[in-house]
Amino acid sequence: MTAAKKHIMHYSYYPGCSLHASGREYDISTRALFKALRLGLQEVPDWFCCGATPAHNVDELLSLSLCAKNLSLAEEVDGDLAVACAACFSRLKTTQHHLKKDDVKRRQVETAIDGPAALGKPVKHILEILARDFGLARLEESVKKPLLGLKVACYYGCLLTRPPEVPDLDDCEDPSIMEDILRALGAEQVKWSHRMECCGANFTLSRPGVVLKLSNAILESAQEAGADCIMVACPLCHGNLDIRQQKIEAKNQTSYDTPIFYITQLAALAMGVAADKLGFESVIVDPRPLLTDKQLI
Amino acid sequence: MHLSNQTMKVGFVKKVEALSGTSVRRCFQCGKCSAGCPMSGFMEHPPNRIVRLLQLGQGDRVLAGRSIWYCASCETCTTRCPNKVNLASIMDALRKLSWDADGPSKESYVQLANRLFIENIRSYGRQYELRLGAAFNMKSGQFLKDLMLGPKLLSRGKLKMFHSKNKNLPEIEAIFSRIEEMRKKGEAL
Repeated sequence: MTAAKKHIMHYSYYPGCSLHASGREYDISTRALFKALRLGLQEVPDWFCCGATPAHNVDELLSLSLCAKNLSLAEEVDGDLAVACAACFSRLKTTQHHLKKDDVKRRQVETAIDGPAALGKPVKHILEILARDFGLARLEESVKKPLLGLKVACYYGCLLTRPPEVPDLDDCEDPSIMEDILRALGAEQVKWSHRMECCGANFTLSRPGVVLKLSNAILESAQEAGADCIMVACPLCHGNLDIRQQKIEAKNQTSYDTPIFYITQLAALAMGVAADKLGFESVIVDPRPLLTDKQLI
Repeated sequence: MHLSNQTMKVGFVKKVEALSGTSVRRCFQCGKCSAGCPMSGFMEHPPNRIVRLLQLGQGDRVLAGRSIWYCASCETCTTRCPNKVNLASIMDALRKLSWDADGPSKESYVQLANRLFIENIRSYGRQYELRLGAAFNMKSGQFLKDLMLGPKLLSRGKLKMFHSKNKNLPEIEAIFSRIEEMRKKGEAL
């Protein structure tokens, strides 16, 4: 069978630094999900850090240049560029957006990378690939094991939708793309107040106290709404809600024990991928007791 | 109220506007940015007051404070501004000006973390999280910070002991140098 026949669609892939380290289960489950859906995924060779928040915080030209160079590396691989990390996605889209409308900046970036800025390749978040390219109807048809009885709080965080003209993904105040996908997977969703609030993002290194406060509000709100778990689409959000959860509980003398899933873990599980192929052993708040309780594994 | 260019110290305001690609002067102080800001509780000046201080020619106070370093870049302010003032970009511009001036900012930890993160790109190409955390603890004197977390993350494969260097490292170094060169020649801000 040729590659073209084997795959319905083919994507180039920019995992970003977190997916090779603290967010490894996001990478593992993305690959497993794409394989299950017969979507091709080929990593951009020798991609490097997009600069994330720290680079644009103090040096926009550096941030734009790092992203522009990565976009030109991505040209070497066929297919739209699939991105899983919300921060990488935001930076790459910001670069395309700014450089398309600002000739002065584009020329500076082209000098910095010593070549033309390649701005033509569509950059797509995993959510958009699932809901729009693959399609909700086909996603629903592909489900082998619906996630019945699992009550999920969909958490968007900041950069998937803001500012709206950059990610161009969904409504910036009341999005539904995560809930739409979740419905196709057969899970239940809870209505809750904190799905668009900031988790504290990269203050996790410099000022973890900020994360303890903001992420506590998110966990508390999800618990109050009756969620069994929270679903995210960003490795930073995951780190703050999962890795910091025990510290948040200790500080607030409370107990959440709320598993945090990546969208790709839940989707792959619904597609019949074996639980031991989805990196559940890597996370801090073990989701396996919940999944066993719901008879999903 | 009409503000004279002199009161506003318009030169500084124009510099912020050039860097951020947005207008400082268009803000009419509705306060929506501060109302939605998740970090305003950590700041001495909430976002709308930062803009007002700039309009009143008090940029020095802004650069010397910690507010700009407590912005999480969540983009809520930019998204909600009725006058399309890109406040998140203004924050980036102010941080850059404070960073370049190496001035009297009251926030050192966030700046240290940013510096180490960017150094990591230049040295390795991709983030080396173990080194980032260890270097931050050493340089900030918080030797025990998150100490219990390290072994948990290592045993789960979330932190790697060793890190390979990226093949594009010479190209990354060239990007840093070309930007420095452009700035020396006055071709970029």
